[in-house]
Formats: sequence, C-alpha cells, structure tokens
Amino acid sequence: MVISLKDGAKLISVSVICFCAVFVCTFMLNFYLDLSSISGISDGKILAVYNAQLSTAKITSALAGGFLGLIAVLMTFFYIKIYIDSHSKQLGILKALGYGNFRLAIHFWVFGLSVFIGCIAGYAGGFIAMPYVYEGLAVNGIPAVEINFHWQLLLGLVFAPPFAFLFISFGYAAIALKRNLGDLLGAKVLSQKIKPVSKSYKERSFLADMCIKTISSKKLIVFFVAFSCFCYSAMVQMGFSMKTMNASLMGVFILLIGLVLAFTCMIMSVTSLINANRKNVAIMKTFGYKPAEYAVAVFAGYTPFALLGFAIGTVYQYGLLKLMVNLIFADVGEMPVYKFDVALFFITLLTFIALYAITVFLFSIRLLKVSVKEVMI
Amino acid sequence: MLEAKNIFKSFNNGNVRVLKDVCLDIAEGDFTVILGASGSGKSTLMSIISGLERPDSGTVTYNGIQLTALKDKELTDFRRKYVGFIFQQYYLLPHLSVENNVRLGADLAGNRNYKNIIKSVGLEDKCKNRPFELSGGEQQRVCIARALAKQPKILFLDEPTGALDEQTGRSVLDYIVKLKNLEGFTMVMVTHNQNIAEMADTVVKMNSGGITEVYKNSSIKSAYEIGW
Ligand SMILES: Nc1ncnc2c1ncn2[C@@H]1O[C@H](COP(=O)(O)OP(=O)(O)O)[C@@H](O)[C@H]1O
Ligand SMILES: [Mg+2]
Repeated sequence: MVISLKDGAKLISVSVICFCAVFVCTFMLNFYLDLSSISGISDGKILAVYNAQLSTAKITSALAGGFLGLIAVLMTFFYIKIYIDSHSKQLGILKALGYGNFRLAIHFWVFGLSVFIGCIAGYAGGFIAMPYVYEGLAVNGIPAVEINFHWQLLLGLVFAPPFAFLFISFGYAAIALKRNLGDLLGAKVLSQKIKPVSKSYKERSFLADMCIKTISSKKLIVFFVAFSCFCYSAMVQMGFSMKTMNASLMGVFILLIGLVLAFTCMIMSVTSLINANRKNVAIMKTFGYKPAEYAVAVFAGYTPFALLGFAIGTVYQYGLLKLMVNLIFADVGEMPVYKFDVALFFITLLTFIALYAITVFLFSIRLLKVSVKEVMI
Repeated sequence: MLEAKNIFKSFNNGNVRVLKDVCLDIAEGDFTVILGASGSGKSTLMSIISGLERPDSGTVTYNGIQLTALKDKELTDFRRKYVGFIFQQYYLLPHLSVENNVRLGADLAGNRNYKNIIKSVGLEDKCKNRPFELSGGEQQRVCIARALAKQPKILFLDEPTGALDEQTGRSVLDYIVKLKNLEGFTMVMVTHNQNIAEMADTVVKMNSGGITEVYKNSSIKSAYEIGW
C-alpha cells in the first residue's frame, strides 16, 4: 500500500499539538483531582481561593484540551486531504483495480500513530512538570496537595485520543476517497469542485490574481497562518502578563506552548504552500519571473490574515485575563488588578513582524531551489 | 542569432554523460526541429540553449550575449526579455482562468493586447474557464497563447504535441506555424516524430548526445500534409 510510516512522520505537527494539549491537561487535571479531594476548609477567604484554583484548573484544561484537540483534528484532515490530492493517481489506480474506499481508508491508521506519540510524550512531560506546578500553585492556608496517580487520566489522555483520531481519520479518508475515479486518475485538483464561471469574474494582473487564488484554493492554510499568529500574540502577551501578576510558572508554560504552537503551525503552513506551488513556481521561473515576484505570488496573500490573527489574539488574551481576574478571583482579596500592557503589546507586535518576515524570507530561499527541470519531464 | 559551441553536459557527477561536444547554429526567423529518439539528449540541449540550465563546458551566445557567462539573475532577465516556452506537459496554473494564465506571459512584456492572442488560438469563449475545464488540445493552445503573449524573440517547444491525439496535434502545430509566420519569431522545436521534421526549415538530428546530421528542407509541408 502507498501510505508509509514516512508519510506518518510528516504529521509531526499533529504530534506537537497533541503533546501541548496533553502536557497541560495532565498536570492541570491531576491537580484538579488531587485538589478536589481536599475537604474541610472553613475559612471563607481561603475557600474562595480554593474555588478559584479549582476553576482555573478546569478552564485551563478545557481550553487546552478542547481547543488544541480541535486544531489537531483540523490538521489531520488537512494532511489527509493533501495526501489524497498528491497521490490521487496512485489511489485512483488502486481503486480502478478494485480496491474499495473502505479498504484504502483503513491504511490511514498511520495518521493515528502520530497522535499516540504526541499524547504519550505529553503525558510523560506533564508528570515531570507536575511537582513544580503543584509547588507554584500552592497557597498559604490550603493544605499541601499531594501528587496522586489517576488511572482515568492515563486512559483519557493517552489511549483515548489516538483511538478517536483513528476513527476520525478513517471516516474522513473514506469520505474524501469517495471521488469519481476519473477525477482521481485525471489528478484534478480536489479542492476545486467544478464551479461554473463565476459572475463576479474580475480582471487582475497575473501576480495579483495568483496571490488571491493561492489563498482561495488553500483556505485551511489561511486558518493555520492566522491561528499561528493568534497563538503568538495571545500567548506571548498572556505569558508575560501572568508573570507580572505573580503567576510566573503558568506564565512560562503559556509562553512556551504559545511559541511551540505558533512555530509548528507556521512551518506546517509555509511548507505545504511551497509543496503545493512547486510546479507553478517552476513555470514562472522558466518564463523569467524574479525570486521576489514568485515569493510575493505564493506568500503575500497571507499577510492580512496573519495580522488579523495577531489582532484577535491580543483581544482574546485581554478578555480572558480580565475574565479570570474579575470572575474567578472576584472573591479573592489580594489578587493584583490586570491592566492592558501597552509596552508589552508593542514589543510583541515588533517581534512578531520581525519573526514573520524572517520566516517568509527563509522559506523563500527554498522556492529559489525549485528546479526548472520540474516542468521539463 | 543563437550559437552553441562544444557543449558538454553530464549528470550524477559525470556518470551520465548526456551531451558530448554539441555545436549548433540557429538563424534568426528560422524554424529548427531537433529530432532524435527519446533519451538522446534533446530536452537537455534545449534547456541549455534557452538559458534554463548551464553546460559543464562550452559556450552559448545569443546575439552577442554570452549566456554561459551570465549570473543567475542576468539569465533570468534574459529569459524574461527574449524567450518563450511550450512544454509537453502544459503546466498551466490550475486555479487561474485561461485569461490569467495567458497574463503570466503577457504581463512580463507589458502586453495589453493579450485578448487578441487568446482569440488567435480560438479560445475567446473560454477566457474565464479554468484549465481543467478544457480539453488537452485547448490546454496546449493556452500554453501557446501564454508563450506568445510574452512576445518572445525565440520560442522553444519541447514535444508540444506529445500528449495530444493526431487530429488535435495537427491543429496545434498548424496554429503555431501560422502565428510564427505572422509574428516572425525564431522557433526551436524538440520532437521524436520524424514527420514533424518535414514542417521545419532546418532539421538537426541527434543520437545519443551528439548531432549526427543537419539539413535544410527543400520544400516545407503544413501540419495537414505530413504523416503522423
Ligand atoms: N537531471 C538529470 N539527472 C540525471 N540524468 C538526467 C537528468 N536529465 C536528463 N538525464 C538523462 O539524460 C538523458 C537525456 O535526457 P533528455 O535530454 O531528457 O532526452 P530526450 O529529451 O531526448 O528524451 C536521459 O538518459 C536522461 O535519463
Ligand atoms: Mg525530452
């Protein structure tokens, strides 16, 4: 069969996302379970702190698990789609030989393996970090929380997700493979259902049109680029804000996870953009287009979405911190007030622009290496 | 106009020697066919004389410009200004309309007249369609329009009819020659089809990396007069 472990290895970004999600959920849920087994707090003020901690643990795990889990699912779909698109001829031939959708889809099990690897690494990492988390979250008045092993977390965080992903990938692959045999063999672009010529057809210069069509033919990449910038913006600002709010350890975790997510998503997006555009760039090169021109054609369209992601990230982290401070810690007296940090915002924005420009520049070099031979075979 | 001298080219660190001491002269306005069996090195030669690749040794000169001495950037400029390409595989941009695929070439030359070129290859009705909605012959005609919209001084074609059936192949060749006679550019076509050679002014025969024969056709046939 055509799917190899090497194809699975390309799913490393899914593993990284799963790692982050399970990492946070492991120590947060463990803390939640251990903390909730403590009873007999009578002091009203301490009880408020106790409840606030329980809520924080719940919200953080829900956000990390739910949100990142969703991103991981989207990414898996994205990879399966790319896989089917780029192997459409091979898959078409197998189908022509009489392989059913079902029998082909089963082979997408490899895609669940990357989830398992991410989950188990995240779980181990979570346990390593756990003593420090417990220490960081300790509060005067609440009895020290002991670390206990909870088997339901092991089941839920390490074994359940790969199975869920196995079924999800399998289902999605079966649906995606339900294409016309002719389409597969003719290697038509999957992302384009044949639409009648649109009425809103506009005349544009070639480069402008290519910019726009690159975006509209790869909408999921728009999402991942925006998400990457969202993560950077939200989590860098939130991480540093929490540091000033005496929650350094959480701040550091958030900062690190934000950076990992931002870079994973960005690199995944840019790499798939380059792969999808190799032939287009090769033909542009033969015709004498310059590096700056094909880099613009491939990447420039994504910049507005990157900035949008950044803006949403800023608003989101502001809202979330405000909410945490006002709602959860409302009854807790000595919690510092949270104010929007303008200086931090500008520093984050500047570093963001610099990193974005550097990433695009570095990957443009890879476009330079696309050989014009690719159009001559 | 275009002159190649003592071209050597090998791949895989010299293990696959593809071109061995090739010399070639192409006159302005001429239609040259490079004819040879598959694997004889035609495409490699074409990519070297068109400024896509560099030879291991030897020189290529175009109207006094020595291509083999140019930097990558200058070579890009050379292709941008003077050269057009048509390949066996069409390599149209799948998401772009026919019109914008043609503009890939037209914009480079600042050519606002691309609509007429689309018309001249008979595709004015399909201007807004995307490539996968066209037949093979129509797609190759878009490639012709894309290359011509660039107003090249010299047009290189690598097996342009290789993926087409006989009828479509003939009509595509017919289009190309008609437009060549109209515009007066120089044309170099690579093919393994002996019959197509009868359409050319000059025929260059290749065999395993060397030129074995060069001759001029005394009478030139149209795409409908040749065998297939
Ligand atoms: N990039 C390359 N690497 C290794 N071998 C090559 C490469 N390009 C061409 N060749 C070899 O050079 C020979 C001639 O190729 P080509 O010029 O494409 O022939 P033709 O166009 O006449 O069929 C072939 O044997 C081919 O395998
Ligand atoms: Mg060839």
